[in-house]
Amino acid sequence: MMKTFKIRSFFVYFTLLIGAVISLFPFYWAAIAATNESGKVFAKPPVLVPGVKLFDNIANLNEAIGIGRVMFNSLFVVIIYTTLSLAICTMAGYAFAKFRFKGRDLLFGMFLMSMMVPYHALVIPLFKMMAAWGWLDTYLALILPNLAYPFAIFLMRQNMLAVPDAMMEAGRIDGVSEWGLFTRIILPSVKPALAATAIFLFMYQWNSFLWPLIAVQTKEMYTLPIALSSLFGLSRIDYGQVMAGVTLATGPIIIFFLLLQRHFISGMLGSAVKG
Amino acid sequence: MLKLSKMLSLLLISSVVLAACGGKNENEGTNSGGNTDAKVQLTAWAWNVNVGALNSAMELYKKDHPNVELKVEDIGRLDVYDKLSTGLAAGGAGLPDIVLVEDDRIQGYLEAFPKGFLNLSEKGFDSKADSFPAFKNELASKDGKFFAFPFDAGPTGMFYRTDIFEQAGVSVDTIETWDDFIAAGKTIKEKTGAQAVPIDKFKDDALFRMMLNQLGVYYFDKDGNIDFNNPKAVQAMDTIKALGDADLVKDVNGWDGTVSATIDGSVATVPFGAWYYGTIIDQAKDTSGKWGVFPLPAFEKGGNRAANLGGSSWMIPSATKHADAAYAFAEYFATTNEVQEIAMDKHGLFPSLQTTYDSELFQGDVAFFGGQKIWKLFSEEMKDIPTPYYTKDYALALDEATKAQADTFNGKNPADALKESAKRLADRTKRQANNG
Repeated sequence: MMKTFKIRSFFVYFTLLIGAVISLFPFYWAAIAATNESGKVFAKPPVLVPGVKLFDNIANLNEAIGIGRVMFNSLFVVIIYTTLSLAICTMAGYAFAKFRFKGRDLLFGMFLMSMMVPYHALVIPLFKMMAAWGWLDTYLALILPNLAYPFAIFLMRQNMLAVPDAMMEAGRIDGVSEWGLFTRIILPSVKPALAATAIFLFMYQWNSFLWPLIAVQTKEMYTLPIALSSLFGLSRIDYGQVMAGVTLATGPIIIFFLLLQRHFISGMLGSAVKG
Repeated sequence: MLKLSKMLSLLLISSVVLAACGGKNENEGTNSGGNTDAKVQLTAWAWNVNVGALNSAMELYKKDHPNVELKVEDIGRLDVYDKLSTGLAAGGAGLPDIVLVEDDRIQGYLEAFPKGFLNLSEKGFDSKADSFPAFKNELASKDGKFFAFPFDAGPTGMFYRTDIFEQAGVSVDTIETWDDFIAAGKTIKEKTGAQAVPIDKFKDDALFRMMLNQLGVYYFDKDGNIDFNNPKAVQAMDTIKALGDADLVKDVNGWDGTVSATIDGSVATVPFGAWYYGTIIDQAKDTSGKWGVFPLPAFEKGGNRAANLGGSSWMIPSATKHADAAYAFAEYFATTNEVQEIAMDKHGLFPSLQTTYDSELFQGDVAFFGGQKIWKLFSEEMKDIPTPYYTKDYALALDEATKAQADTFNGKNPADALKESAKRLADRTKRQANNG
């Protein structure tokens, strides 16, 4: 019995290990390329040991895009966006899941339908609006337009539907206020969904490209993806510099995920055990 | 409860911060360019090395025009078009005073937004036309009116590895035609194992485009009809097939694959525009002194060997508030030898301003290329380059031509492959196909 278990777990871990290597290798390679000079990314066989050019590449990158400013813009926008959007989407999801009001399902249906409109169709009207209001090239234009994110609202609503009404009724009998019901009964029971939505919103904004590209007018307002994309000319590309930038850009996502993953995973286990 | 108050205060703080960030002052820059004493703040969009060229030019320009300031936004090449198209579609909102556009896109923009750009002929640019080669002028104008300031170009050449040619005992002087090239390629492959040219067989047709241009034809003719069935286009595709049949083509994956093949010596030549010089010296530093350039082989003895690939020009969106100041600076940029020589020397941008070609820069030796006078070679090509006709459907034509090339490499007869592509392109663009 013990033996088959061991063999089985060996295979499980072995498969996982292979998967991990395959998915981690590109990150490793990017980090290595960031420490080598540009031409090395084309070397055959590929260069897999760190080089000595890391500081040169970072210095070049800084000269080209101004790392500090760009990193600040990206972090500033993503932190405020994630906080506000999570609050709005959670509350909207709560209303759709637990409140009965006229036109609720119609409204929710419209929200779902807006997910089907390709983003590119919205860009020009949105741009005109921002231009008319003088919001181009401001943080407002970067943060506000996507705050009520339909997918996040949908995600929160579905998770809140699963919370039994009986729990809320019990709360009401015990004299908990409506706000208390939301913060002390609903929110704790959808913690994993909150973590998942937060990660989702964070990644969405962190990687967001087309809208920031169009809404931003000056270099001082560039976010990381826009700044990195500006490194690509027609024929002259410093790959060491690009890879240094790419490696820097993945850092915050990994940190944010690690911060939230405990809730994420414990939530999955928790809901499985509850049954 | 603590959590709740924390969340609330976070919300409050962030909304305060948000409010503080908005309401940026939009009043700056309302001065018109007419008053020469008033400060003028010009903005420009460009990518990569072009940004440096603009800034260097402004430094010179300011000596006589201390009131003009220029702010260049460094934007990715393809990103410029996303921003430009959005701004034009929104009626000119948020556009800069000067924008760099590649030559193959100019006609598309002029067709899609006929009122989007400043008519430069009205400002007097016609008098400068003689300074530029004919094909460049034609690309920069529509219906005889200039809408763009010609800037850099990409006269083509065969970048070749002198060490590989020597090892195989092949002299480039013996290569006059594509048939000679194929014969030489076979010898080189036999002796050194290196293939003749890199081609992204199924995704890009750069060599085909160079050959078309060389033969004086293109995807479209002067009137905008599809010209895939032109016997010369078929001849070009036949030549590509012959290269493939002789097993002289290294199938590469995209731009990075081409660069990779250039560096590792698995190909003996790389046909490209003059701008490829920059890529070689950046990415293949170890191969200094081992490079040379010869013109594209002709299709018959004594035939044309001049062609162009790439290049770009400056345009002024008509929404600009500083039309005169933008025009004055852009004209200075486009027509001043000193500016173009700096752009070439410091930023590797090959000028189309012909008056620069007599300078030392163009007549001198290039050490990385074993002392060959490669810039002289490229500059002598410029006057002989035929005009390629791109139209606004260039992107679709590129797609269909690439399919025709892919079909050819998959064994289809080139003439048939081109015919089918021409038919599909006619369906997609509602254009006539010649000899269809």
